Amino acid sequence: MAAAEENIEAMILRIEHKSKKIENLLKQSKPVEALQKALEGSPTNTRDQRCKSANWIVVHRAMMAIRDVDGMLSSLDPEYYDILMKYLYRGLATGDRPTCDQCLRIHEKLTEKAGLGCILRSLADTVNTV
Amino acid sequence: MSAVEVHQFAQCITCHAWSPDRTMIALCPNNTEVHIYKFTTDKWDRAHVLYKHDQIVSGIDWGLTSNKIVTASHDRNSYVWNQEGSEWMPTLVILRLNRAALCVQWSPKENKFAVGSGAKIVCICYYEPENNWWVSKLIRKRHDSSVTGVAWHPDNILLATTSTDGKCRVFSTFIKGVDTKDSGTSSSRDLKFGEQIVQLDLSSSWSFGVKWSPSGNILAYAGHNSTIYFVEDVCNSPFQQNVAYRNLPLRDVLFVSERMVIGAGFDCTPMVFTKDETGLWSFVKLLDGKKTAQPSLKYGSQFSEAFGKLYGQSKNDGVDPFKSRGGAHENTITCIAPLRREGDTIVRRFSTSGLDGKVLIWELDEKMEIPQ
Repeated sequence: MAAAEENIEAMILRIEHKSKKIENLLKQSKPVEALQKALEGSPTNTRDQRCKSANWIVVHRAMMAIRDVDGMLSSLDPEYYDILMKYLYRGLATGDRPTCDQCLRIHEKLTEKAGLGCILRSLADTVNTV
Repeated sequence: MSAVEVHQFAQCITCHAWSPDRTMIALCPNNTEVHIYKFTTDKWDRAHVLYKHDQIVSGIDWGLTSNKIVTASHDRNSYVWNQEGSEWMPTLVILRLNRAALCVQWSPKENKFAVGSGAKIVCICYYEPENNWWVSKLIRKRHDSSVTGVAWHPDNILLATTSTDGKCRVFSTFIKGVDTKDSGTSSSRDLKFGEQIVQLDLSSSWSFGVKWSPSGNILAYAGHNSTIYFVEDVCNSPFQQNVAYRNLPLRDVLFVSERMVIGAGFDCTPMVFTKDETGLWSFVKLLDGKKTAQPSLKYGSQFSEAFGKLYGQSKNDGVDPFKSRGGAHENTITCIAPLRREGDTIVRRFSTSGLDGKVLIWELDEKMEIPQ
């Protein structure tokens, strides 16, 4: 249990560190790199909600900075499609207007790109949640 | 590669199986009956109707050497049908289940069959000549949910199952007096009945349609999360690969050869997966049933293009989840069966049936290279 606690602390530290990098990338107006960085190593297999929320805040920050959705998807590594889809559904669940608008815009393009299978994988996965 | 025959047999087909000589097909038209159609000169005629079950028939398998048909039904029983003269005579098999039977398959030697059920139980049934009946032996307490698929290893001992708890398991089904010690591979020889050999926990959602490769070295099954799983060297040191694809999930899979798999399901169109020289499995393509006529570019192309733009039809090449599906099936495919000739190592022809009541026969082009 103690080890798990430490792990969570380490994870949160890592996310904070990641957050700073992302701010830097956003200042250099590199939103795609920022989003990819935010999605990298997302804490999916922990049950700790603090970690998940912390990472969601980071992903949200990067996601909202995206202007050119098509361009973003063509330069984003396809291995991140599934995890991005999960975060889109988390965004839609917030009910916040600007967030939902942005999520729906990306959702449309991502579905075109990654197919319905991507949606199925994000909805069906009850173990690795974001 | 295309569908060579399309037959509308019913409103909906739950499952189908072929006779050993492939001139007859047994199918369940989503009710309590099993219809056997025979091909005569130029059309399919209904030759027999087997009615004995009280509820929907969920599984049919036709023994290739014994010519016996086994059926499983939601009424919790199985029947073994034996052709005597022109009649099919049923023998009741009491499975001892308290939930529906969902799937059935003859073992390779056809001296046993396995039934998966909604009671989290797998039944292994074998014939007892002294009493002239089929005995059902149960594998209990292993599955945490309904068993959606069963598949026999070529050694006649190992059985793989998929279930709605998302796992794929392999069991020994060694039965004293039915199986001999020298049958089976060395690894399966000393195993007791019902012993679990491996449990694969790869899919976090329902799993379906487990199959062994022809050699028995590779196991493939589909998850309800649009992923297909390939597991090599299952019994010793399992090595797994997950292949995610962009279409809706699969319901059933079929090994065409050791390195090629066909999957079909909710996307209404079969998909092809192959293994390359480096051992990596990957999605190759969809099998299109219709012979798609390429839009003629000779005349009217500019007009149609303009109209397309005006009416937003140019979007057709994008992904529209609500478009009518272009494939030959109009609804989910639930069952794939091989049409194997004696001694064939590669399955060139196979059939699919589904909720639209059609049976399609597919043929792989001579041109198409099928990796052995």
